[in-house]
Amino acid sequence: MAAASSSDSDSGRAESSEASSKWLDAHYDPMANIHTFSACLQLADLHGDGEYKLVVGDLGPGGQQPRLKVLKGPTVLSESPLPALPAAAATFLMEQHEPRTPALALASGPCVYVYKNLRPYFKFSLPQLPPNPLEQDLWNQAKEDRIDPLTLKEMLEGIRGKAEVPLSVQSLRFLQLELSEMEAFVNQHKSKSIRRQTVITTMTTLKKNLADEDAVSCLVLGTENKELLVLDPEAFTVLAKMSLPSVPVFLEVSGQFDVEFRLAAACRNGNIYMLRRDSKRPKYCIELSAQPVGLVRVHKVLVVGSNQDSLHGFTHKGKRLWTVQMPAAILTMNLLEQRSRGLQAVMAGLANGEVRIYRDKALLSIVRTPDAVTSLCFGRYGREDHTLIMTTRGGGLIIKILKRTAVFVEGGGEAGPPPAQAMKLNMPRKTRLYVDQTLREREAGTAMHRTFQADLYLLRLRAARAYAQALESSLSPVSATAREPLKLHAVVQGLGPTFKLTLHLQNTSTARPILGLLVCFLYNEGLYALPRAFFKVPLLVPGLNYPLETFVESLSDKGVSDIIRVLVLREGQSAPLLSAHINMPVSEGLAAA
Amino acid sequence: MAEQRLAMRTQFPASAESLKPRLKKAPEFPILEKQNWLIHLHYIRKDYEACKDVIKEQLQETQGLCEYAIYVQALIFRLEGNIQESLELFQTCAVLSPQSADNLKQVARSLFLLGKHKAATEVYNEAAKLNQKDWEICHNLGVCYIYLKQLDKAQDQLHNALHLNRHDLTYIMLGKIHLLEGDLDKAIEIYKKAVEFSPENTELLTTLGLLYLQLGIYQKAFEHLGNALTYDPTNYKAILAAGSMMQTHGDFDVALTKYRIVACAVPESPPLWNNIGMCFFGKKKYVAAISCLKRANYLAPFDWKILYNLGLVHLTLQQYASAFHFLSAAISFQPKVGELYMLLAATALSFFVAVALTNLDDTENARRAYAEAVRLDKCNPLVNLNYAVLLYNQGEERGALAQYQEMEKKVNLLKDSSSLEFDPEVSEEHPSSQSHHLFLWSQSPLWKRNQLKHQHK
Repeated sequence: MAAASSSDSDSGRAESSEASSKWLDAHYDPMANIHTFSACLQLADLHGDGEYKLVVGDLGPGGQQPRLKVLKGPTVLSESPLPALPAAAATFLMEQHEPRTPALALASGPCVYVYKNLRPYFKFSLPQLPPNPLEQDLWNQAKEDRIDPLTLKEMLEGIRGKAEVPLSVQSLRFLQLELSEMEAFVNQHKSKSIRRQTVITTMTTLKKNLADEDAVSCLVLGTENKELLVLDPEAFTVLAKMSLPSVPVFLEVSGQFDVEFRLAAACRNGNIYMLRRDSKRPKYCIELSAQPVGLVRVHKVLVVGSNQDSLHGFTHKGKRLWTVQMPAAILTMNLLEQRSRGLQAVMAGLANGEVRIYRDKALLSIVRTPDAVTSLCFGRYGREDHTLIMTTRGGGLIIKILKRTAVFVEGGGEAGPPPAQAMKLNMPRKTRLYVDQTLREREAGTAMHRTFQADLYLLRLRAARAYAQALESSLSPVSATAREPLKLHAVVQGLGPTFKLTLHLQNTSTARPILGLLVCFLYNEGLYALPRAFFKVPLLVPGLNYPLETFVESLSDKGVSDIIRVLVLREGQSAPLLSAHINMPVSEGLAAA
Repeated sequence: MAEQRLAMRTQFPASAESLKPRLKKAPEFPILEKQNWLIHLHYIRKDYEACKDVIKEQLQETQGLCEYAIYVQALIFRLEGNIQESLELFQTCAVLSPQSADNLKQVARSLFLLGKHKAATEVYNEAAKLNQKDWEICHNLGVCYIYLKQLDKAQDQLHNALHLNRHDLTYIMLGKIHLLEGDLDKAIEIYKKAVEFSPENTELLTTLGLLYLQLGIYQKAFEHLGNALTYDPTNYKAILAAGSMMQTHGDFDVALTKYRIVACAVPESPPLWNNIGMCFFGKKKYVAAISCLKRANYLAPFDWKILYNLGLVHLTLQQYASAFHFLSAAISFQPKVGELYMLLAATALSFFVAVALTNLDDTENARRAYAEAVRLDKCNPLVNLNYAVLLYNQGEERGALAQYQEMEKKVNLLKDSSSLEFDPEVSEEHPSSQSHHLFLWSQSPLWKRNQLKHQHK
């Protein structure tokens, strides 16, 4: 009964949430085979026909088959293989003149591939990094055979130890080699000039000189050697270069390049650095003391998700405004912008299969998905203005459309006291018997108390007697005397008729060795035979465990067993120091034979 | 066909390198950091399996030269609890780039986690030479010094850390040092600053609230605990502390609703069930009180406060044999600490034992218990009064008279210093202690009963 009623209420709740939901389910394909990050999702009107397409830089299953996919509605419009894994995708306008179709840029390895009309248009490669001059010099010497491999190795190691500029791959490889391989390696590679190449880690766009929505934009690249580059949209030359204290992971830019812009870079050391137009180095720094998992700017607030399951809001000067705790790990974040209502909010995909939408610290909505969302974006898709596109951990694709009537109100999520407050306390029940006993105690409390006390004293007396007896006859396995602190325990191995009896004797004193101990076995000679019933113990060094082995032959074939007593004695004393009773097992060997 | 055509499209014209004919042998070296970004993205998303796959691939390709891959592998090892392996990998990283303070920091962190605090401080000092403006190094050095019991040095380092960059964690550690030194005022000072710096940190708010509670500044305590609960309505510590304050004021129903939240989150907490039990006791639902207290006792069998409360409830129910049983257990577990409230508790315990024994007609032991209570007690006239009654009933009128006079002396003393005022005491981790003392002095029906007895005579 209870189960049925609860399921009823569940379905009722589901229905009501369906009706009040702000989202229309447009498409769900769990087998879409899209594995990507939010940075590689872009919505753009690629053909200039007002029909927005979805561009996906797909890493492929297991990151093995990188592909560029373009989706129109639920179907894949085109798919082309990529030379390397895409790190980021961006769409931007390259020039002023018509037709104003945006170009698509894909950052991958050290290059940016630019497509126009979905056709390859240009490939930009990051400039080579300057090699270490000392290293260059050394290889030049090697080229002219003026230096032998061993010296070369020593010199290179010296450079690696203290130089500012790191070594090239060639030198690092060389340093790993064995002596025999060096010669060949130098001969093979000495003619090549040494090169240092870096890769792009992140990319975003920045308006060039106009704030309009369809203004020409520059590409901003973050590189593995801790630099930020701004590229000219037409000539693809480096317009500006800024350096950071760590490798950038996420970028967030606002403003125009020619006028004034602010740039926030979340880096691998857990810090977020803020730069302005004129600054070559970061102006402000937010120390998160955790790794950022997403960076989104909402109006003037920087929203950062940290890998400690929390969302923080910061001003652009790095002052913390608020913190919200999430119920699960944040996997990805992106901006939700509803221009018609002037709403900007943050979407966060969580590991528990929720997508939460926050305006500042107020929860606006929760979208529940069948699988954890690993990338998401919101915007115009097809001809629908407000579309939410999500891809899941298993490679699924979910498209939802925001209802035109939907209004986000604060408190749309959780509000009021936590649901646990309404739960009944799980109290242990008391039985009738308990109540009866209570009544009996009230009536006959005195008698119960006396009986209890008498029994308690008896128990204590017996325990004390047994203890005294054990002490008197040294029955305990641990000796109590101060002169010979000893510990004994015995192990019997075997099935019979022959057993192995091992006595573990340990001197527990801190420093004094013990000398002159004897071991004696007392047993029924009709049942057991021991090779030696009495022997001397070697000197016992403190702390060590001495296993003393002896064999026991069971003589009886009637399946009876007995106790063997072990006594540890001091030479010249008749009272044992300690003793152990060993319950011998029944011999199974004879029965089997 | 389609596949082919698409493949054709991706041939890029402008690339200078690809057009160059392949120069005979000398193979190109892969870029070491090629997939660092991918490793990092997987790592921060806690997708450790995928991360390990990429790391393996990258290390194979670069023959173990990719420092970042090793670094993240070590971080994952550490998260998985393989601290020794992670330490070794971090040391490899430190060899690959000896100038990086970050690698040294991680080596030190792993040493710290292995409990080698001395070695960790050495490595941190080394790292501090490479990067002097890192709050994390200072902070962690401070924490290491705490474990090494060098509190002065620890304070210095933590203040340095705060100077470089303020973090909640540093404040918490600094506060802990002051608490270790037993300096409540300084600790409160630190936590106050911390709350000013980050007003939404529930842990700071709760700790500050509890400290105020310990000092008996209830208004401020309740304020801070309340704030903590606004930001996090499920904060276990804050609810328990606030609940015990509500109990003090007799708001048992409100306290019980709050406890429900905790019961959901931490169903096996002994202080929680103790407090719930005392709530029911306050509401005169004795059976419920006993079952809750017994659960608390089951969960923490050596906690004398729970045993004490159980004894109290049984005494109220006139189950003297059980009451004696629990109270004597409480006495044997009670820590012998010379603090005032411990003394009060000890007095009360011996007194209750005496009352139980009186009711069980065990006069000899009852007298001994009274004697002990009188010895420990400093200001409570009722102890003497009850002792006097017992002695009188035994026919020892002289002894009874002496106790009666003692009582009168105390009563006069109390009259001079206005009303019955007792030191309200609370231990930090055990917000329950307060509630039961309250019951002890004002609500226990036993006191009244004994008073009546006296009047009858």
